[in-house]
Amino acid sequence: MSSQLTILGIETSCDETAAAVVLRDASGKGEILGEVVLSQLEEHSAYGGVVPEIAARAHVEALDSLISEALLRAGKSLADVDAIAATSGPGLIGGLIVGLMTGKAIARATGKPLYAVNHLEGHALTARLTDGLSFPYLMLLVSGGHTQLVLIRGVDDYERWGTTIDDALGEAFDKTAKLLGLPYPGGPAVERMAKKGNPERFTFPRPLVGEARLDFSFSGLKTAVRQAAQSIEPVTEQDIADICASFQRAVSRTLKDRIGRGLERFRALYPDVAMPALVVAGGVAANAELRATLQALCDKNRFHFIAPPLALCTDNAAMIAWAGLERMAAGFAPDDLAVAPRSRWPLDKQAATLLGSGKRGAKA
Amino acid sequence: MIVLAIDTAGTGCSAALYDSNRDIVLGAAGEDIGRGHAERLMEFVDGALAAAGLDLPAIDRIAVTIGPGSFTGIRVGVAAARGLALALGIPAVGVSTLSALAAGRNGPLLVAIDAKRDEVYWQAFAADGSEATSPAIATVEEARAIAQAHDGDIAGSASALLREGAAVETDGVDIATVARIGTHLDPQKHLPKPLYLRGPDAKPQAGFAIRRA
Repeated sequence: MSSQLTILGIETSCDETAAAVVLRDASGKGEILGEVVLSQLEEHSAYGGVVPEIAARAHVEALDSLISEALLRAGKSLADVDAIAATSGPGLIGGLIVGLMTGKAIARATGKPLYAVNHLEGHALTARLTDGLSFPYLMLLVSGGHTQLVLIRGVDDYERWGTTIDDALGEAFDKTAKLLGLPYPGGPAVERMAKKGNPERFTFPRPLVGEARLDFSFSGLKTAVRQAAQSIEPVTEQDIADICASFQRAVSRTLKDRIGRGLERFRALYPDVAMPALVVAGGVAANAELRATLQALCDKNRFHFIAPPLALCTDNAAMIAWAGLERMAAGFAPDDLAVAPRSRWPLDKQAATLLGSGKRGAKA
Repeated sequence: MIVLAIDTAGTGCSAALYDSNRDIVLGAAGEDIGRGHAERLMEFVDGALAAAGLDLPAIDRIAVTIGPGSFTGIRVGVAAARGLALALGIPAVGVSTLSALAAGRNGPLLVAIDAKRDEVYWQAFAADGSEATSPAIATVEEARAIAQAHDGDIAGSASALLREGAAVETDGVDIATVARIGTHLDPQKHLPKPLYLRGPDAKPQAGFAIRRA
């Protein structure tokens, strides 16, 4: 299957409502024809985090007009698209329902196939849209909801090498910011303060560093930050800057250790890949110190470090459309209109549950 | 006008095709499913279309229940209705479950839906069927006072809660009624927007941040 394909993508799994029209030409090259992302940052900032019900309410009010806008920007009508791709998990169920039902309705009304896309697969395949990357490669996803190192062998062929056993990295940034009275989202706020701080003043734990397995843990770090802050309470502006800088340094060292091991493992597994690649995705990828750490690590290990533009690292619909295009081009069957949204949906079907359990299974 | 009516606001999940010129239901499908509206709705839309012997291009308008009711259920129906309207290029209108429960009953009427958590969604209708108050939420105690002062029938699942001896009713709306009401609503004024009546139940973060010097 190598003909030109165009897909409408829909993303509503967290606090961004997004729609995009993406084209994949006969050679497999992708082009974003039109896209729009509506962030709900304002709606959630007073709560210090994403409130699921507020998010779901915002998605249902905005999505249809965003789809119209994305089509307009692309200069396309629904008649011009070959399929609809909507995120169906993992994520906040209220939002997933809105996006998936809208996708189902459009698919039914236009008679086009529906692809129910795994949000993580969207992140995993983005580098093929932006950089035309070939399989296999490694992806580090670091966001408010996920912290995963995944081997990307092919479309629908993923092996999770590491994941967080407690908090996601973005969550650790948010909680640190909240504790220090910094605004939400925590990532940019902590980074801003860290620039003015002394990263050597506090020694924060680097959980699991030195262990062979590639998993992450950030909840102990959060506790250490709180204890350090409490021990010098009341804190000055400089104290806060020092805590932020020390926190960021600890995270940076953790990533260096974990990802370094991951790169070695990849090299051992694929000795014939001359210039392998590490792709970073997720909002935490915006952090300059972490980026610099990963860049240096990749340089040292002779890996390409690929950081797609930030707008494609954070949640967006272009990556969902692209994942749909990849599935379609690879000959995967579309989904039935009875497909259910899934709050939990691991990318790697074989991966053991490290986070979240019970009847709904592993979180991601 | 051919109207596709959709209701997912309660435990039921249903769809119907309605011909307003003849005031008849051409086909309907649905079940009391409790949960899983997102998975089943399209099947019932297809079932209603098949029973009517029609396909989506024959439809002139979509009418969807917007609540009050299950937040999740409402969003399943509203998202689907808006998606269909966008793709078909036809208007969609929102029908409140309170007005659907009031339709065809003798006024003056008080419609009250059990909102759980000791609260009630309610609205009063005049003898001619017009809205006497706006849809609102009240505590059961407040609603009892409203019911006491009300001279007329009470409808809806909270009726037995508000007036002793009142018949026990469900919140299931008649899908044909939803279609009929939807036929007469102005699409400019009655957009398919959820009618929650209750806030999102989120509290601004408490100040447990560290003390500043």
